[in-house]
Parts: sequence; structure tokens; C-alpha cells
Amino acid sequence: MPSSNADQLRQLALRIGWEPEATLEQFVAGANSDALAALRGELGSDSESLVIYGAAGTGKTHLLQAACRELAGGTSSYVPLAAASELSPALLEGLDAMTLVALDDLQAIAGHGAWEEAVFHLFNGIRARGGRLVLAARQAPSALGLLMPDLTSRLQWGLVYRLQPLDEDALLAALQNRARQRGLELPSEVGRFLLNRFPRDCHSLFGLLETLDRAALAAQRRLTIPFVRQVLGLS
Amino acid sequence: MPGPVRSRRSICSYCLIWGFRLDSSVWKHCLNRLEAEIPEQQLNTWIRPLQAVEGDQRLRLLAPNRFVLDWVKEHFFDRIQELAEQHRDRPNVVLEIGSSLPPEPGSAQPPAQTGRPEQRTRHEARASGGSNINPRFTFDSFVEGKSNQLARAACTQVAENSGGAYNPLFLYGGVGLGKTHLMHAIGNLMLRNNPRAKVLYLHSERFVGDMVKALQHNAINEFKRHYRTADALLIDDIQFFAGKERSQEEFFHTFNALLEGQQQVVLTCDRYPKEVDGLEERLKSRFGWGLTVAIEPPELETRVAILMSKASQEGIDLPHEVAFFIAKRIWSNIRELEGALRRVFANAQFTGSPITVDFTKEALKDLLALQDKLVTIENIQKTVADYYKIRVADLHSKRRSRSITRPRQMAMALAKELTSHSLPEIGDAFGGRDHTTVLHACRKVVELREADARLAEDYANLLRTLTT
Repeated sequence: MPSSNADQLRQLALRIGWEPEATLEQFVAGANSDALAALRGELGSDSESLVIYGAAGTGKTHLLQAACRELAGGTSSYVPLAAASELSPALLEGLDAMTLVALDDLQAIAGHGAWEEAVFHLFNGIRARGGRLVLAARQAPSALGLLMPDLTSRLQWGLVYRLQPLDEDALLAALQNRARQRGLELPSEVGRFLLNRFPRDCHSLFGLLETLDRAALAAQRRLTIPFVRQVLGLS
Repeated sequence: MPGPVRSRRSICSYCLIWGFRLDSSVWKHCLNRLEAEIPEQQLNTWIRPLQAVEGDQRLRLLAPNRFVLDWVKEHFFDRIQELAEQHRDRPNVVLEIGSSLPPEPGSAQPPAQTGRPEQRTRHEARASGGSNINPRFTFDSFVEGKSNQLARAACTQVAENSGGAYNPLFLYGGVGLGKTHLMHAIGNLMLRNNPRAKVLYLHSERFVGDMVKALQHNAINEFKRHYRTADALLIDDIQFFAGKERSQEEFFHTFNALLEGQQQVVLTCDRYPKEVDGLEERLKSRFGWGLTVAIEPPELETRVAILMSKASQEGIDLPHEVAFFIAKRIWSNIRELEGALRRVFANAQFTGSPITVDFTKEALKDLLALQDKLVTIENIQKTVADYYKIRVADLHSKRRSRSITRPRQMAMALAKELTSHSLPEIGDAFGGRDHTTVLHACRKVVELREADARLAEDYANLLRTLTT
């Protein structure tokens, strides 16, 4: 790659945000325990691909990160296609040698011929070598609007799971897990206070938590409802 | 680096014991430290893809491609070197592109970077004799039906009598209809008849990739020898040759050499050879020298048989009505059919429930919700009317002229094939006709598809339009 791509690569790095360690144990499955079992390879044969799809904030990225970290047992690669699609599909070259490849945001490359072809060849390569491919997307394979029917049908071949949004109890558990990971104690009543007032997807809630964490750290305070009210400017 | 980090792992277990453990690898030590220093996503994208090969006072890090190499070099290499320095072995760190995996069997890829083969995986056990033939895809495991029996017969012929009259054998049809399965079946039968036969199966992309690598490594003669000495060369998805002129040129010569030597060539394509844009005319015409056979989407009965066969391979007892339920709703290709069945099995395993129709309905609810949106009787009527340039109202009407009845029968047959509506419901949707009229239409269409090639093609076209 010529060095002129260095700027693009920098962009890619910036777009990959900071996330606390994503582990499978920390994943609050809610109604998605079947998808989690499938990811762990407990259901069906291990050599097939796995597609998980669902709305933003349902935990797709978390699962993919955790899979790279815990399930590969060798080399693994996480490719955030939403950021990567500004680069060349050559980014996928050689990845078929990995034990596990996780492709995130598949919807970002739908309609881009060269990228779809690269994913198609990666799929075939991994299958031939016996590695594992895990993909995440906003929509089901048939609804992604892929140009290549060959790719769509391959994605439909393996297990496909839709991630359901978490219910209130599960969301609270997820939020508390996340807080604990940051070394922060989030009492249940404070958690419920947040759930009753803010958008209830993990992205928004984790964002709030980050704000609260910084404020708590700066003020050396514990998270209480009055403190949260004050930080988030609620009367 | 954003975010306060309070509880992240900061102690490397290898650091505590490195002086005492002789088998602790340098890379594991580095990785443990990097895990504590680099955000998870960065680690998964740039560091975990690196394969480490250690020995001779060297730590070789193999990056899968140039992007990873450049990024690691710029951002992490200095730190990796520092970490390696701390290890008692103090190895020299080298970063390069490559893989310690052996090349995919069957390819002529020059053995790029052969380090210690510590990453051997399951695939090697699967491939027999380095020919890349999957032993699971045999004629016995291929479910035959009207839609594929001609192709199957041709393939059996070729396997039993390779290099004979059907050379090349050209199979074409939509995705997921069993072309690749048949190719492997040819290979397996040839190898059973003659275990020393050199049968090469590969995807056209691999051929292109190998050729490019051979050119880079000045190994084009070995490349030529590898492919031209095959007893049978099976190349999948040749539509990917489109627009790649240099590869077509090379393939053209390989192809001619094989044909002259009476070595068998089998090719698959997603469409009729003449319809592939970006393919040289001389190639297209040569592809037609042997036998060209189409594979059609499987009809309902075959889909049921495929599901039953798949279930018995897995040792699972699949009730016939469940197979029928799935086959009725998923029609476009076999991969999707198998994917649905896989999901049903996974759910059964997960919940421990018996597989019933209701259970299956629940297991496939997301999939079926998407399917149901796709094909409706109205949609079929509109598509058929457009195809025959008549009005939808004509399909509902009592008119009985041939130009109307045929399309009407066709639409009814398609409605039976593609929707889960009962025959009385279908009759209702066509101007309140009786269910026996629908039944008659379906039988008539089956009959005509056998007798009339033009009508068979119309049917196939309509099916394709409606399902893709």
C-alpha cells in the first residue's frame, strides 16, 4: 500500500472507538441467549458461518469483539466495514488464514461490487480452510440489498439470528455490568431512573454512563439520583 | 486515548514467571502486555491477526496483508520490540506479509512463507489427496429431481468416462442449486475409480490469484505445469473471469492443452456462457464444444427430499410435514433451504423441544416474515401479466382464449409453488375459480414444461424474476 493511504488508515483508527473489554460473560443476553449459544459454537456444526443482525445498540459489536478475543484460539481479525469501506477491499486479503474473522457492519458494503466480491472470496476461502466467519449487520442477509446473489445465498447458508432489543431488566443488568467494568457502582434505582428518561438502546445508555463516570470521577462522588440529575441537567 | 481506565488488566502473568518458564512464548508475553495497553477494537483489528513464528532468536510476525503490516509498523512495532526485549530470549522482531498456513490444497500457489506450521486446521483432514475435493459431496449425497437430473446424468457420464465426448462439461444455473456439489461428486467418483488421478477443483478466483502470484514469483512455468498435468480440471464460477483478460488468456491456453490431451474440463457458471459479459468470444465458443447443461431451481418435491436427506445425514428425525412446511416456504435455492433447516435444528438443540410444525414456525419466524413480504399472489399476477404483456384484469376474467389461459395457468402454478396459500384461496384470487381449476392448471403446466421448451423457459424466467 502506498503511503498516501496512511491518512485513510488514520481515519479508520479514529473510527474504531474505545470500548471496554467485551467479553462473552459480560454480554447480557436477554432474549438472545440462543444467538449467544450459537456464537459459542454450541449449536449445530462449527464450520458454518454465523450472521447476527439487528438494530443499533443490540450488542452486535460486543459479540464480535468477544468472539475475536475468546473464541478464536489462534489468530483472529475484526474488520469494522463501516469504517473500512473507505479503504480498498484488499484489506480483506489473506484473512482466510485466520482462525476466526469477524466482519461488522456488513450493510456498509452492500451495493459496492468490489467489496461484495472480496467478502464472497473471503467466505469461500475461510470455508475451504476450515476457519470461522462471524458477520454482523443491521438487516437480515436477504434484506441487505447485496448485488451478488452468490453472497446472499452463502450468508443464508449458515445460522442467522436476529438480536432482540433487551427488556428493561436486561437493560438494567447490562448497564450495571458496564458500570462495574468501569469501576463504578450503579445502584438499581439510579439505573431505572436513567431507563425511564432516556432512549433505551445500549449505545445511548452507555454514552450516558461515560458522561456520568467522568463527572463522578472529577467530583469524587458516588452515583445517586440527585447527582445524576445535576450532571445531566434534569430538574 | 480516550476514557478513564480504572479496572483494566495491568499485570501480565508471564512477566511474573518469565524467568522460570522455559516454554513461555515471546509473543504470548507481548500479547498479554498489549492487551492491557491497547483498546480492544484496535487489538482485534491489528494485533490479533498477526501470526507469530518463533525460533532461532527471531520473532517473525506475519501480517495477512499490507494494510495490517503498514499500520502495525507505524503504530505498534516499536512497542512490540520493547516488549520482546524484556523477554529472556530477547529475539529479533521481524514483521512481514505472509502466513504460516500451508496454501489451500489443490492450488499451485508457491509455498509463500513456510514457517513452523503451528496453525494447522481441520480443513486438511477434509481434503483428500491435495486435490481439494470435498469427500462429503458425492453422487450418493446428491438429491435428484426433475430440475437437476439431466445435469446429474451428464456428470456421472463424465466421471465414468472422462476426457470423452462431454468435454468440456459446462454446468450453469442460479446460485445454490448444486453445481459445486456435482463438480465435487465428479471428482470423488474419478478418485474412487482411480485413486492416483490428479483431479483439481478450484474456484475461478483461485486460478486468477495463483496466476498473479506465479507471475510475481517468476513461477509461471510451474503454474502451467501444475494445471496442464491434471487428469481433470474442475473450475467453479467462471463468470469471475469476466474482465480479467490476462487470466482469460492463460486459461484459454490451459483449456486448449487439456482438451488436446483428452483431459477432462468441467466448468460452472451462474448463467449461459454466451450471456457472460466481459468474456472473450473465443472462450465462449469453446465452452460450447462439449456439453452445456442447465440446473433449474428444485421443485417442491425435490426440496422436501433435500431436507429429509439432510436431516438423515445429521441423524435427526425430521417429520415429513415439517419438511413440507419448510420446502413450501423456501424455494429460491438450496443453501437457504439448508440454512433454514440448520436454524430449526439449532433451536431444537437449544430448547430441547421436539420438532413440530408449530415449533418450526416459531424458529423460522424472522426468516418467514421476510419471505412472506417477497411473494404474494398479487405480485405473481402482476409479474406474469407484465411478462406476457396482458392486463392483470385478464387473469381474473372469464376469457378463455389461449393467449389468456396459458398465462393464467402459469400464474396459478407459480402461486401454488411460491406461496403457502391453499388451492381454494388461489382459485379465489383468480376471479373466484374453483380449486379443481387450480389443480388442473398446475398439472397442465407441469405437463407443458416437459413438452414445450419455450414454455419451460418462460416458467424458469418467471420463477427467477419472482424469487431473486
